[in-house]
Amino acid sequence: MMFKGKYWLKTCCLLLVLISAASCNKWLDLKPSDGIIRQDYWKTKEQVKAAVIGTYASLLDDPTNKDKSLPELFFLWGELRADMLAPSTGTLSEEFEVMNVNTVPSNTITNWRPVYRTINYCNTVIDFAPDVLNTDKTFTQEALDSYVAEAKAMRALMYFYLVRSFGDVPLKLKSTSSDEEIVTIAKSSQQEVLAQILKDLNEAEPKISLTYGDNASDKGRITRYTVNAIQADVYLWMDKYDEAVAACNKVINSYRFGLLAPSTAWYNTVYRTGNSTESLFEVQYNAQKLNDFFTMFGISSRRFLAANKVMDQVYTSDPIYGQKDIRSDGVSVRAEDGVIWKYVGKNDKDLIAPGDSYSHWFVYRFADVLLMKAEALAQKGQGADALDIVKALRDNRNALAGTDNNPDPANVDEVSLFILEERAREFMFEGKRWYDVLRYVKRNNYEHIDYLQDMISSIVPANMVRTAQAKMLDHNSHYFPIYEYELQTNKALVQNPFYK
Amino acid sequence: MRKILFLLMIITIAVVAGVTLKSCKKVDIKETTTTDVNMLDYLKQDSMQRFTLLIDIVNKTGYDAFLNAYGTYTLFAPTDDAIKSYLKSNGKSSLDQLTVDQMKDILRFHMLEEMVNTAEFNDGKLPSVTMYGQFLVTGVSNTEGISSYVVNRQALVKQANVIVGNGIIQVIDNVLTPTTYTLAQLAEQNADYSVFTQALKATGYYDTLNSMKNADGSQRWLTLIAETNKALADSGFHSYDELKAKYCNTGDPKNPKDSLHLYVAYHILSNVKYLADIVMSGSHETLAPLEVVTDKMINKKVLLNDDEYSTINGTVHEPGVELEQAGSDVSATNGVLHKALSHLRIKVRSPFPVYWDLCAEVPELTRLSAVYKKKTYLFDYADGNALKDVKWEKSCLKYRAGVTGYLGDYWQMGLGTKGSNTDNLGECAGNTWIEFTTPLLVKGKYKVWFCYFTQNTSKISAVQASFDSIPLNSALIQFHSKISTVDPLKEAEQEALGWKWWAGASKKSGSTAARMLGIVDVKVTGRHKIRFDLVSGSNSDCNFDMVHFIPVGMNQTVPRFNPDGSIEY
Repeated sequence: MMFKGKYWLKTCCLLLVLISAASCNKWLDLKPSDGIIRQDYWKTKEQVKAAVIGTYASLLDDPTNKDKSLPELFFLWGELRADMLAPSTGTLSEEFEVMNVNTVPSNTITNWRPVYRTINYCNTVIDFAPDVLNTDKTFTQEALDSYVAEAKAMRALMYFYLVRSFGDVPLKLKSTSSDEEIVTIAKSSQQEVLAQILKDLNEAEPKISLTYGDNASDKGRITRYTVNAIQADVYLWMDKYDEAVAACNKVINSYRFGLLAPSTAWYNTVYRTGNSTESLFEVQYNAQKLNDFFTMFGISSRRFLAANKVMDQVYTSDPIYGQKDIRSDGVSVRAEDGVIWKYVGKNDKDLIAPGDSYSHWFVYRFADVLLMKAEALAQKGQGADALDIVKALRDNRNALAGTDNNPDPANVDEVSLFILEERAREFMFEGKRWYDVLRYVKRNNYEHIDYLQDMISSIVPANMVRTAQAKMLDHNSHYFPIYEYELQTNKALVQNPFYK
Repeated sequence: MRKILFLLMIITIAVVAGVTLKSCKKVDIKETTTTDVNMLDYLKQDSMQRFTLLIDIVNKTGYDAFLNAYGTYTLFAPTDDAIKSYLKSNGKSSLDQLTVDQMKDILRFHMLEEMVNTAEFNDGKLPSVTMYGQFLVTGVSNTEGISSYVVNRQALVKQANVIVGNGIIQVIDNVLTPTTYTLAQLAEQNADYSVFTQALKATGYYDTLNSMKNADGSQRWLTLIAETNKALADSGFHSYDELKAKYCNTGDPKNPKDSLHLYVAYHILSNVKYLADIVMSGSHETLAPLEVVTDKMINKKVLLNDDEYSTINGTVHEPGVELEQAGSDVSATNGVLHKALSHLRIKVRSPFPVYWDLCAEVPELTRLSAVYKKKTYLFDYADGNALKDVKWEKSCLKYRAGVTGYLGDYWQMGLGTKGSNTDNLGECAGNTWIEFTTPLLVKGKYKVWFCYFTQNTSKISAVQASFDSIPLNSALIQFHSKISTVDPLKEAEQEALGWKWWAGASKKSGSTAARMLGIVDVKVTGRHKIRFDLVSGSNSDCNFDMVHFIPVGMNQTVPRFNPDGSIEY
């Protein structure tokens, strides 16, 4: 009896100690049961490819569904501060804030997290893909270089959006794959970031593929031509015109791209279906992965409409002969009610069904390369050559005579302004307008700041015009504030002085 | 004994186990709803110790309790440097040399009872008044490439929108000082306004502008538009005597009927209106009875009475008077002073006929180049905001093109019953009213003619029109009724009965009818409202084409209007 009691007691004690100890720590397997960890990944070339494709997938949407998708963000960044949008019944207060030049650091539109998320995916590929050479003997150096080049090009593109939107930004070039690797990084200057972008692009250019074997991949992944287009864009931003022309020529002289003849099917081919000959790089939505554009532009409580000037001044109409710019009514905008049409039109007058909202987001199109070349030529003093390019494009698009300024080829300012206006017509609502305007305005030490002030006065309410114009004189106001959450979590960051 | 030992052991083990188990959890109970500090604590906790003098002021005035109490305040917080330089410029060496009341005034001028962040700053005054009772004006200034918010043209905002538990703090680099001058004093001090000031004094308006209170004891807020001597000289008035000689028709400038008195009254707007407020509304009442000034902003310039109106003979443009931005928006204790760069005289506006096409004046329609004059279109109700100058009860409003109306179009509405389904576009639900904002009508007496195209002659209905909410009582509109004859010989007879036909010789018919609804006496030049209410019956196709406002005494029947846009006199 006595023995039995002791035995029972010992067992009891042991059990209790075990239970209480186990409840504090986990002694058993540390690996998650529902996923794969990094040490087990990066073994085969298929995994490398999946990771690279993942960087493109991250453009489509935020995997955690908390942040805006990148195309929505790029649309807001590129159009909200420009003059082609009008608010509608569903416009959010933070969108009004940006439109009225009242952005504050708590505005979530300034949250750059989605962009850095994609950058981190790129960094992960760049850091870990080379290890796979050791484990997968069928993985070649050439294939590796191509994947890494894709990741570098994507990283460059992301930083290019950041540097144009925020000015100075932190340059994170190493992947963050564990909590210990979270570091606080200070901002790098715009020039340093641009230099890194060029370095990435120049490293990627010789190694990245010219084709991935099928049309959808060629338009949905970054090819060497897209790298050249980004280079041209970056060089233009940096006022390096010879390099910009050279980069454009690489695309043009490949003869892989062209302008489609104007026809009734043009809208459908280029925009609704996408991946046309006119296109270099598009974010590929499909029936399984829808975009946000229907809720932005299609539903009756839509967030945005086209501004009146889109039809009245940018495209104009021809009531007498019924001629129209093929990019205007029924493509960019539905003229009768100002609906932003490019992403929600089934044809020139019917809306798509909400479940069919999978028009692509157009990052670079061939017309962009042509007009970038024209812009660089104009700055180099080759106004006549620049105008030839613009004229050919205008003829192809059936641009109306009312929008032809007939600039003097010898006058750099006139030609540049004409190209800026043509870019507005060509890339209506493609998230480029603000960057185009800013590039035009900031050239030659903000020679054309008055253009920005005039533009602003047409957007903000009448009782804020002078306030908004005076803000524009501060060049820091052309860049967004750093989102306040980033400032709180990264103490090394310094707010853009305009927003202090 | 053993049993007791055994029990003790069990208890000990249980307690030890319990303690170890418990040590894994950490209970952290929060007792506050927010960790935000209130204003005073924020100032005290400032890491750079920028607000020690401000805290002194708060403590000395006894406002500390209320700055730490619940609320939604805005505090413009001057830094120590700001307060020091304020003291210095006022010849004081320390805060002790200010009285408590002076400090209270300073503090009250820096506080609003509403939270105002910089997004609400505009080119004029802030939406709420300071506790001191004067408005603060805002703006943005740019020095050496850096733009900052300016408050009251006195201080720059150094740190914006600090949100604390009971409001918002804007850190500023100068003390804000309220103006101590009335509008009358401001005008008097400025030598540029000497002639105008003499006129103010002679007419008695100097005293009006010099007082802070209205007759009923409420705060007086006025806006004075002062003319510079140069503006007057440019118009030929080199002295007050010349001005008086021209305007003073009764010999007594204090007489409210005297033209000089009215001229001065015309320069005073009721309420406090900074330029930013002026440009937000098309016209403003003046102290001259029933006279308004209109305004426009063209090329960043604010212009008064820059009017354009269309007459049968084309568009008339009357150039306006510019308000200089640098010399305007000067705050006074009882309002704001603006500087006019040219002579602003009471506009003599004689009534002229307005032949108003109800469609052609709607910009939301006319800019739809694919629709206007081309096809029938339904305007969605859109919470009543679809069209700025046309309001109706519900559902949608149909624009008809290619029909017999002036310019080939009219608005078509189902009154009392749903509208017809034209071109299979759908049906708008039945409405009971629709309201239009008129074009500019100069004050005077007009006969109001309503022009429509008769449809559904068996659908009897009656519609009452009202002008600025006053019913027009000569006739109701019956959209089913045709005019009984369009014989030119019977024109006068029909007019006497209150009928005319609006279409030209080749288009006229019994259906192109117009009714004289009544006579309106437009008291104030400007835009007014005309509203149509269904009284009885129903008609699915009520066609609203034109309204004619024709001054009494002018020919009421011609000109006539054709669908192709031509006019027959």
